[in-house]
Amino acid sequence: MKWPAVKLSPFWLCAAVIALLGIAVTIFDLFNINTFIFFAGYVVLQYVVLATAWNIMGGYMGYVNFGTAGFFAVGAYASVVLYNLFQAPLALMIPFAGVVCALLGLAMGYLTLRLRGVFFAIATLAMAIVLETLIINWEFVGGATGAYILRSREQAPFGDYIEFLFFVMLLLAIFAVSVARWLELSRTGRGFVAIRDDEIAAECAGVPTLRLKLIATTVSGFLMGVAGAPFALYVSFIEPSSAFNLIYAVNAIAMPMIGGATTWLGPVIGALLLGTVQQVATVTISSELNLLIVGVVLVFFVIVAPEGIVGLLKKWFGGRRDDR
Amino acid sequence: MFMKSSEKSGLRGWLKRSLAMAILAGAVALGAPAQANDTIKIGFSMALTGGLAGAGKGALIAMQVWAEDTNAAGGLLGKQVELIYYDDQTNPANVPGIYTKLLDIDDVDFVVSGYGTNLIAPAMPIVMQRGLVFPSLFGLAVNEKFNYPNYFQIMPAGPEPLTDWSKGFYTVAMAQDPPPKTIALVGADAEFAKNAVKGARIQAEELGLEIVYDESYHPKTPDFTPIVNAIQARNPDMVFVGSYPPDSVGMVKAATEVGLKTKIFGGGMVGLQFASIMTALGPKLNGIVNYDFWVPEPTLKFEGVEAFLAKYQKAAEGQGVDPLGYYLQPYAYAYLQVLGQAINATNSADHAVIGEYIRNNSFDTVVGNVSFAPNGEWAKTRVLMVQYQGIEDNELATFTKAGTRVVLYPAEWKSGDVNYPYAE
Repeated sequence: MKWPAVKLSPFWLCAAVIALLGIAVTIFDLFNINTFIFFAGYVVLQYVVLATAWNIMGGYMGYVNFGTAGFFAVGAYASVVLYNLFQAPLALMIPFAGVVCALLGLAMGYLTLRLRGVFFAIATLAMAIVLETLIINWEFVGGATGAYILRSREQAPFGDYIEFLFFVMLLLAIFAVSVARWLELSRTGRGFVAIRDDEIAAECAGVPTLRLKLIATTVSGFLMGVAGAPFALYVSFIEPSSAFNLIYAVNAIAMPMIGGATTWLGPVIGALLLGTVQQVATVTISSELNLLIVGVVLVFFVIVAPEGIVGLLKKWFGGRRDDR
Repeated sequence: MFMKSSEKSGLRGWLKRSLAMAILAGAVALGAPAQANDTIKIGFSMALTGGLAGAGKGALIAMQVWAEDTNAAGGLLGKQVELIYYDDQTNPANVPGIYTKLLDIDDVDFVVSGYGTNLIAPAMPIVMQRGLVFPSLFGLAVNEKFNYPNYFQIMPAGPEPLTDWSKGFYTVAMAQDPPPKTIALVGADAEFAKNAVKGARIQAEELGLEIVYDESYHPKTPDFTPIVNAIQARNPDMVFVGSYPPDSVGMVKAATEVGLKTKIFGGGMVGLQFASIMTALGPKLNGIVNYDFWVPEPTLKFEGVEAFLAKYQKAAEGQGVDPLGYYLQPYAYAYLQVLGQAINATNSADHAVIGEYIRNNSFDTVVGNVSFAPNGEWAKTRVLMVQYQGIEDNELATFTKAGTRVVLYPAEWKSGDVNYPYAE
């Protein structure tokens, strides 16, 4: 009897290797990695999910969403709701947060997608402020005074709870990137690109623009929500000003810009690069200078690589083929 | 945009070299072996950028003054003290990583908290997991959920911070003849202000005061005139405000412009203790009764506090921080004093031993004698209620004089009598 031939594409092979590596370092403690790396790695991976989610609308379709922090925070507070109701496990919090934010994305799409350009961007920013005001006045989730979520110290078979959170975020990052890649390569993704290039022409050519835009806001919202779901467990205490911190919106935009906003790989590279620089700068330079560095990195890439690192690499390798 | 091949390879080479250097620097920074164990290392995160940076930088200077003083006196356990700190950027998400780095890579012997409730709480699971002593700086009721025995909070809110905070405001008001009958409660929709107003509401109900106005406002409210007008329309005897620095300024200015008529005004206004705000408001502060933690009154001249303030004020010159350092800074010095005294008294670096010692003893510090309740808060509240009196100008020197912020409560520390009513 022959085993059926299984052919994995390089993407799925890489994803499988990364997931196995994740298992190796968290469950089997291979390489004896320091706990700090898991904390820092969690934040970087969280940005991979957020940047990838933002890129589905901002990169593929050209609709700039400034409301990332709003979706992220709603995802986090959805977990607080379940925790306060019956101390739900993370396995329930993540899909719940995702669904809540997907519905929120759908609603936002219906309300705002007739706006374009800067008007759409302002509407998304306003939505985040409205959501923050709602949370501030919702006592069940702690309101303005905040809420505590007590996590257990350990989680079998991972050992330390942060290793478990890191692994969960790694899986979420792989999931988010897979969804983004699938969208990019599908007929839907081509529709997104048509909308980005010329929405009216796309409409005339028969592209169902409103439906595609609603798909994008829903999927993007879902992914931002799942990124926020474990946040309250990570920090133990959540209050509106930190959950709705503008840094999430800024990073979610900056990372795809640095990596390259037109492909699934761009946000991944941008998040890994900028996220790592931020984490290292926090515990090395640790002053106003680390904020300056982030700014300088941004300006550097905008000047040297306006299409991001992926665009730069394409240009280099494309150029070399031309030289030959 | 086209580049020559040699330019491209040059740029690529530069990028490769930069990447290699960055990886090397990261590896050195993250993987550097611990230095020889000839110092006592105390680690913490502090808000040096972001919303709480002004206070955080001031606290850091106070902590550095403590380290210098301690080292000059021979250090701890015969070793020199070294402070290792990182900027948490006023972002709670940075805190867990920073404390893990401090403990696992920098190999610190002790950790203390950063400044503020939402930057203390994220460190709690890490210190609890390792059973560490955790002195904390200005967290409000953080330990209520964690119930961690080695948590010791230095802000003198007392064992019941929610109500202890505003107890003095009511004690002063109800001692007047005739006592007030109505009260207006107003506060920002934010963590501290909500708690302050909640405590004030509980006490108003207990005292049988009629609450004629009970509203909150968005933390970014630009104009407080409509709020003060609405309060004035109800004509309350008392007005309790829970606010943050920008809104405290807005509220005081609006009260002056509108000509708020009430018998007692203030309570929980953060910011009126800061030198920059006091000098900006000057005579507008007269008559306000507000909480404070330390003022230069003769009843509060604890041993060492003036020497500390002299050193702090010298170190603070040109640093862009509070030049007087009366509010937070003595406490930033004192929470390290508690830790240092406990280490020296037990002659041990064992956290269980030190925690036990702190729980069962009192400590003479620059903010007075401190002992802790089982929940890690001060065993007895010492939230001062002070009244601004006799301020005629906006000079910084005015606020260094006794008599400009008279202590009305607690009676133990009283330094003068209340000017009552606020305005009629």
